[in-house]
Amino acid sequence: MVTEEKKNVLKEVLDYLSFATDMIVERFGEKHPEWAWIYALLVDYYEEAYKAKDTGKPVAWINFGVPPELFYAMDIMPVVMDALTGSLASIGSAVKYIDLAEERVPDYICANNKTLIGAALAGDVPLPDILVQPAHPCDSNLATYPVIAEYYNIPYFCIDMLYFKTERSAPYVASELRKLVSLLEEITGKRLDLDKLKQVMQYSNQAHELILKHEVLRQAVPCPYSSLEAISEYGLVLTLAGTPQLVDYFERRYALSKDKVSRGEGHLPKEREKHRLVWIYGAPTFDMTLLMWLEKEYGAVSVANMNNNFTMQPVEDLSNLDSILMGLAEKVTLLPMTRECGGPWENWLDASMDLIKRYKADAAVFAGHVACKSNWAVIKLIKDKLHDELGIPTLVLEMDLFDPRVASTDTLKAQFDNFFNVHFKG
Amino acid sequence: MRALDELTNIASNLVNPAVEEWKQQGKKVVGFMCTYVPEEILYAANILPVRLRAPNCVETTSADVYLSHLNCTFIRSCLEFTLEDKYKFLDGLVFTNSCDHVRRLYDILREIRPTDFPLLYLISVPHKVDDDLIAWFRDELDRFKESVEKTFGVEITDASLRNAIDVYNETRSLLRQLYDLRKGKNPPLTGAEALSVIVAGFSLPKNKYNELLRQLLAELGEREGISDYRARLMIAGSGGCDNPAYLQVMEDLGGLIVTDSLCFGSRYFCEPVEIGDDPLLSLAKAYLNRPSCPRMVDNAGERSDYIRQMVNDFNVDGVVFQRIRYCDLWGGQLLHVEKEMKESSIPMLSIDREYSLGAVGQLRTRVQAFLERIER
Ligand code: SF4
Ligand code: SF4
Repeated sequence: MVTEEKKNVLKEVLDYLSFATDMIVERFGEKHPEWAWIYALLVDYYEEAYKAKDTGKPVAWINFGVPPELFYAMDIMPVVMDALTGSLASIGSAVKYIDLAEERVPDYICANNKTLIGAALAGDVPLPDILVQPAHPCDSNLATYPVIAEYYNIPYFCIDMLYFKTERSAPYVASELRKLVSLLEEITGKRLDLDKLKQVMQYSNQAHELILKHEVLRQAVPCPYSSLEAISEYGLVLTLAGTPQLVDYFERRYALSKDKVSRGEGHLPKEREKHRLVWIYGAPTFDMTLLMWLEKEYGAVSVANMNNNFTMQPVEDLSNLDSILMGLAEKVTLLPMTRECGGPWENWLDASMDLIKRYKADAAVFAGHVACKSNWAVIKLIKDKLHDELGIPTLVLEMDLFDPRVASTDTLKAQFDNFFNVHFKG
Repeated sequence: MRALDELTNIASNLVNPAVEEWKQQGKKVVGFMCTYVPEEILYAANILPVRLRAPNCVETTSADVYLSHLNCTFIRSCLEFTLEDKYKFLDGLVFTNSCDHVRRLYDILREIRPTDFPLLYLISVPHKVDDDLIAWFRDELDRFKESVEKTFGVEITDASLRNAIDVYNETRSLLRQLYDLRKGKNPPLTGAEALSVIVAGFSLPKNKYNELLRQLLAELGEREGISDYRARLMIAGSGGCDNPAYLQVMEDLGGLIVTDSLCFGSRYFCEPVEIGDDPLLSLAKAYLNRPSCPRMVDNAGERSDYIRQMVNDFNVDGVVFQRIRYCDLWGGQLLHVEKEMKESSIPMLSIDREYSLGAVGQLRTRVQAFLERIER
């Protein structure tokens, strides 16, 4: 008798990514080897996540903003929930889970959270040994993860964060991280191995330094970077920070960009790069081809986005646990999205202005995810400032990053048509 | 029912004669949002704390220039009132990072009305409780205290803080007595009346409020209890539930509201502040440990337990779990509450609503159907 294998979204994502990697190698292998590199890394990551339970490795569900380094150092598999739900959205599998979740929670809860709730309610995702989240960036996260943990009786930890970034922030968060380490030790029954953590932090720093170096190259005109990568890399960094694989990726990626820039080459040929867009928030996860359409239709390259705007510094002092936790604390309070959505609105404004200036952009796009109420609350202020102080127009899109039913790709395209028509005609 | 009439009157308006009198004496009034702001600190400075509300606000046209339709209508209404200068009588506004909408209201006001209020302050409140965080919050309150002192040129002494805590503890105790009266078979007041009593207390000096509460308790002792109801209801969920007319709609259909788990309700007063050597530490401890709102991350289970406990204590037949639309915090909690209520066989009606009393017809239909379900 053949028993049907239990559905598992990790496997679903893994299968899709494996298939996509082969396809990318075949179709774009020569022109865009970097695309295949990203996919290949993700395949390995999901393979490990999928197999973790079988190998007896403890699994943690973590949010963007929780340093994965601590988990790698403690041999715990960090499954980054936002990356998982994003992947499900990009392969069209989120919608059914969103529907399922909406039978139990209001529709205005973030689709990111609803996807996970739906998958959990359907029993399509193996439950973790612990769930860890930071208190930022938003209520939707804060309202759903502790409830999921309580609902399924999963140990839970929240890294609390302060509203204002002051000299009190890093010690506060460092103390939270210390509590997290103790809890992880309790759950795994193993002490944190400081040497192992140092090793992981060295990898983390190496990748980080390459990211900062690469960042400078990415600002070149024409932009050496494709829109697609600008979005995907964020997930990669927050998932694999602390692994040698990420270092290797950025070494290759940096060399590629360096070569391109030295030859004056861009992702699009110089004469075809007509506009440089900065996405001051996320981008539609459900259909990334919109970015390619923008390149083709308007010569509009998405040169940067809020998410992979890593400006914080690597952890300097790796000599002891306290200094490492302090460095990580400093880093996590400045992580993209945590920084823009979590604290005072000026955090978002400053980061956006800075991005626009550094990348010499001529327009900003707000992919207004309907669930991000804190961003919607101040987008008028942001838009006005960008216009008044930088002379930059902002396209405000009302959409759901994960769910095409709120605004379809066609609807979004029509809004871009209108935007280019109004602001850049002739 | 002199005291009840007076309190009901006060609740239906933003400003009342006591506030006017206070202002005429040249004293300061500070608005605050939400219940995680320890009012005692302001009271100790002889400043009148008034909880921000926007009674009778029906449109938010000016506010919607800034906030979007994806923001909660309670906050949009409060911004509307600011822009219409209805909060002009306030000398300060104090916020907490209680939810995304509240903190952004604070952000917007800093940008567009930076000089309207001499004190414009946000207290950062931890999202969970342990000894470290209580100590940290104590320091945060100390900073807030200093800021109040500096802004208004006053001194807040330990003695004045202790006195304020005493006065507030008395309020808490009187309100508990009031709620105890609702446990019986024939409660002497309706849910709408009880909400008016609570809401009034948010804009009265607490010593005066305590007098009125004592008077009210005496008057209620004489009042005939209510017996013509179809079911005993409890109301749970979002803040922003400060409109007695909303409860009145349910009560007109025969559902008597006998208790709640609202921050404009039982969660506000159920625990006294235990005074220790350091009054600020006492406040920090008490405010963080009070029955929580879902902004606190470690108590999802306790919040459902609290509802269950209330259902038992007040002999409740059904729970109305209402949220202001786009309130993620209470929206997420729904998942747990619904499961727990089902497991305990407690009927529950879940409603998304707006701050102002708009779609009454729809509310009536749903409550009517719920009452029929309970009666069966
Ligand atoms: S996308 Fe926005 S609403 Fe959703 S989890 Fe992230 S910050 Fe929160
Ligand atoms: S009702 Fe909810 S969203 Fe609105 S202010 Fe209160 S907690 Fe925030």
